[in-house]
Amino acid sequence: MNPMVDMAFLLVSFFMMTTTFKADLPAEISIPFSKAQLKLPDKNICTITIDAEGRVFIGLDNKFDRKQMLQYVAQQNAINLSSDQAELFSLLSSSGVPLEEISHFLTLEGDERKAYYQSGIPISKENNQLRNWLIGSRLSNPNLRFAINGDGDASVAIVKRVFDILQDINITRFNLVTDTEIDASES
Amino acid sequence: MLPNLDDIEVEKINVRQSDNKTDKRTLNVDMNPMVDLAFLLLTFFMLATTFSKPQAMELMIPAKPKDELVEQEMAVKESKTLSIALQKDQVQWYRGITDPEANVIKYDELEDMLRSVNQNTDGLVVLIKPLESSKYANLVDVLDALNYSNIQRYAISDLSDFDLTLEGNTATNE
Repeated sequence: MNPMVDMAFLLVSFFMMTTTFKADLPAEISIPFSKAQLKLPDKNICTITIDAEGRVFIGLDNKFDRKQMLQYVAQQNAINLSSDQAELFSLLSSSGVPLEEISHFLTLEGDERKAYYQSGIPISKENNQLRNWLIGSRLSNPNLRFAINGDGDASVAIVKRVFDILQDINITRFNLVTDTEIDASES
Repeated sequence: MLPNLDDIEVEKINVRQSDNKTDKRTLNVDMNPMVDLAFLLLTFFMLATTFSKPQAMELMIPAKPKDELVEQEMAVKESKTLSIALQKDQVQWYRGITDPEANVIKYDELEDMLRSVNQNTDGLVVLIKPLESSKYANLVDVLDALNYSNIQRYAISDLSDFDLTLEGNTATNE
């Protein structure tokens, strides 16, 4: 049995070293394919997720940045959040809750919060909340890079609107998250 | 100095002999719970891990024009433009703006088409025209083809009157 146990522990340690956990996204995203060869960085990255329904979520990789981003956005919109609520927000890898609901959302308990339907950050011209979130994220970390993690089935109109918002606050360089295309002819 | 092997051998035999005299029990540790735990962890990490890191496609968009500069936006010769309307399984493309001739090709033929057009035209500008039905995946396909055919200038633009007359096109405007 010993060789088997040795191997099991070897594999355990290997997986423990190499693992990076899947981000807990509130929406299922199937990203489109491309031939791009650039690896997405792990650190200093702000991910704008667009799901197939067109809901928009924002996520930062760093917990402290998330807290700072929330503070900026709350301050801009005169929303009072307790320190518990801010703490809770900093534990969520991404958020797509409109500001009108965020105070209520952050009082929910574990399972209730998971089941809560996040309707996405509003991006319309009249109610452009994404802009504030992006400014907040940038203030929290000046080295931040932006990535758009869009579902292949998302409407181009929504994606274009997100591009326009990014352009509006002078973020002119960003990444589109894609999956490597498997070329059938090569194999 | 290397130790003398004969000496060591003798010592070991001596130790064994004394052990056998005092204690005959063998130490038996039940390893099963530990192994169970090891395999539990192994399965957990195997399931939770993400191996394929996603790739990133770099995209640069022009900076926002300052108000006074909007007037003198660059004009592009019609003959230098190439428009691509994104349909579900195919793209419609045409050169120029007034009374163009529309062609239909598949997404995987796009790259070759763009490459040959780019070779024959100096300062080609590609206009990407998303329709209402267009999916983000279509846009990524086109951007990918543009990147790989070395076309530097492209824009996502609104539909012209001609685009609206093309069969199967509906406006994306809100």
